[in-house]
Amino acid sequence: MPAPGAIKTLIADDQQSMRSLIRTSLNALGINQTREAADGEDALRALLAQPANLVITDFNMPKLDGLGLLRAIRAHGPISKTAVIMLTGRADRELVQRAVQFGVNNYLVKPFTTATLKEKIEAVFGPLE
Amino acid sequence: MIVENISQRAGKRVHVVQGEHYVTGDPEVTLTTILGSCVAVCLWDPERGVGGMNHFLLPEGKAEGANEGRRYGAFAMELLINELLRLGARRERLQAKLFGGARMFSGLSDVGASNIAFAERFMRDEGIPVMGTSLGGFGARRIQFWPTTGRAQQKTVTDTHELTNLKEVPKPAPVVVDDGAVELF
Repeated sequence: MPAPGAIKTLIADDQQSMRSLIRTSLNALGINQTREAADGEDALRALLAQPANLVITDFNMPKLDGLGLLRAIRAHGPISKTAVIMLTGRADRELVQRAVQFGVNNYLVKPFTTATLKEKIEAVFGPLE
Repeated sequence: MIVENISQRAGKRVHVVQGEHYVTGDPEVTLTTILGSCVAVCLWDPERGVGGMNHFLLPEGKAEGANEGRRYGAFAMELLINELLRLGARRERLQAKLFGGARMFSGLSDVGASNIAFAERFMRDEGIPVMGTSLGGFGARRIQFWPTTGRAQQKTVTDTHELTNLKEVPKPAPVVVDDGAVELF
């Protein structure tokens, strides 16, 4: 039962509006330790510089997409255990299957509510305090 | 994937209905839509010669206040932008024109104003320059958009049959009579 305030989270999405919405939802759940990255490469750099407990990443991003970021995380020893939740669109069933193959912890279909985000995080970490 | 977003297509004209979007790099295609309190965002990359339009009406959020509408809108915008990027557009070259958001019937809430506020804020947040707008007011609009060049044309809708087909507008207010097509921007 992790304290939400202890979950260090990195949000990776190339759309500022989406990052802002995710951050707002996380804050509403008490998850206040958040950082943001606008593409997969930035996200990987940020993680290697300072690990996180959770990465919430979009699939469509320039430079390195969400799937590439997931594979890179799993391939880098020090951060390979980071929990990853992938954001997808409704029609991305094939993507979800590939992400599962690469070790994604959960996925979130857009547009989502704070309650759904909470469910997905709790499925990974257990009930939030 | 693009074909799924076609609501009806007659020749090279593609009509974009509420909740849908369409992108193309075909210079022969004209995108059209009819707007009441909905907003249509037209985006294009002039260098790549690709563009597209969406047509959305934000839900009036109750569970999470304004955030629910923002979520829906941000997702609608993302679908449009992602398909443009897939056609070779670059985010930093995108330009926008915004239409719609009329106050179509009297009531306590002004849905059109909420749609406008979202669209304008989104463009600001994402740093997409807005090259032209026709927003607000009290009448329905018929929009034509040429996605590869960004050219747009608006006509005020006075045809009662067209207004009846606007599902979002249960009781349209009288519109200003204007039979002339107006070239914008």
